[in-house]
Amino acid sequence: MTNAIAPTNSAHAIPGSSARAGRGSIKMSARAVNVHYGATHAVKDAVLDISINEVTALIGPSGCGKSTLLRCFNRMNDDIVGCRVTGDIRLDGEPINDSEMDVVELRARVGMVFQKPYPFPKSIEENIAYGPRIHGLAKKGMELDAIVERSLQRAGLWDEVRDRLGSPANSLSGGQQQRLCIARALAVDPEVILMDEPCSALDPIATAKVEELIDELRGGYAIAIVTHNLQQAARISQKTAFFHMGQLIEYGPTSEIFTNPKVQKTNDYITGRYG
Amino acid sequence: MTRTFDPVIRELRDMLLQMGSRSEAILQKSLRALEERSVQLADEVAIDDIDIDRLDVAIDFAILEALALNAPVAGDLREVFGIKMIATDLERVGDLARNIAKSARRSADRAELEPPEALDRLARSALDQLRRSLDAYARGDVETARGVLEGDDQVDAEEDVVIVQELTEIARDASIAPQAVDLILVAKNLERVADHATNIAEDVILIIEAQNIKHAAKFGATS
Repeated sequence: MTNAIAPTNSAHAIPGSSARAGRGSIKMSARAVNVHYGATHAVKDAVLDISINEVTALIGPSGCGKSTLLRCFNRMNDDIVGCRVTGDIRLDGEPINDSEMDVVELRARVGMVFQKPYPFPKSIEENIAYGPRIHGLAKKGMELDAIVERSLQRAGLWDEVRDRLGSPANSLSGGQQQRLCIARALAVDPEVILMDEPCSALDPIATAKVEELIDELRGGYAIAIVTHNLQQAARISQKTAFFHMGQLIEYGPTSEIFTNPKVQKTNDYITGRYG
Repeated sequence: MTRTFDPVIRELRDMLLQMGSRSEAILQKSLRALEERSVQLADEVAIDDIDIDRLDVAIDFAILEALALNAPVAGDLREVFGIKMIATDLERVGDLARNIAKSARRSADRAELEPPEALDRLARSALDQLRRSLDAYARGDVETARGVLEGDDQVDAEEDVVIVQELTEIARDASIAPQAVDLILVAKNLERVADHATNIAEDVILIIEAQNIKHAAKFGATS
């Protein structure tokens, strides 16, 4: 694993750090993470940090394990039959795979945005209000209204939907639906946002809006994004991790990965000569 | 950013190497024009320079297209960037050859002043520096590129010898000043050719090793 970040305990020594800590502080860390789907070894001894105020891009060919690893950060793999996750993953220094960890609370702190936008078959407003309501974040209607407005504003959608909050979410365009899903994730006040190819189903204009949004959100969150669009990784991320056949091959500042990768395999992949 | 970029970069390389061989040729022709006091050769240099300028413009277009359509990264990006930088240096070599040809044209109308041996040595050194820098690019040979960088001091020293000699000649016989000044100008142009060769060598190192060593002495460290 040449040039990959070295497994250290430093990440584990920052208990209590929060999303408001300085840029580059490690928010989540993965050490020696292995994921098996039955007999398939999908992620091999992965080491990765997700830092505050940074976008970490996970790139690599299909089947390299990047989405599988991403899902480890909020235990989405728990729901997959036959999936076994080992290793050490921490949020603010606390192991998230401990039995004491409340998975519902974890997923509120570590939100997820998927490839295709799946709004609930409800109104725009209800899509946003649902999470805060079940998490008890708002007791009064006015508080909930404020959360809805704030979340939609953060997602850059408020001006487009403020006059039709009661309309079905499915009436929005694909790009708007994806930003709605981002707003829905923001509504429960997460600290980390995981994104699994959030723009792959969007046209270039909608993609540009989501990319701008990600860049803005970076100021308040730690973000990790899986993308097949290498230019997107180059545009929006500060750190890039390249995976190949379940292994982290190279991790470093995006500007270095895309101008001077240290590992030949990384160079071959990002220049399209891999495989 | 696919394998379809390979033919694109090959074409860019071919264009640059073509520009390089023309730059060597035009420099040689300008020196022959000086040696043979040939107005015809001097005129040909001006025409040849236009061909180099055309190649420079063609490379600009090809590079813009490559960046827009292929979005190269890593080594590919450094090479595209390097090709543009080298093309700019070669275009300047063409201009310097034209300057030498202008001196040759002027000298053809004047009483002959034998160019000193030092100028001949300087011309061979400058040509050699240019040739080796282009070889370094063509072969991706960093060692040769470093050799070019080391050779620049010798070129500077040879230029100084020519200048001192010609100034001495002028002091001895002021009537030959116009011809002597032109030989000094030729020496200056040759020294500039060698400077462009060092730029090319630095670009080769950037392309191959991702190290920008330009102005390293001034900065006190490589960056």
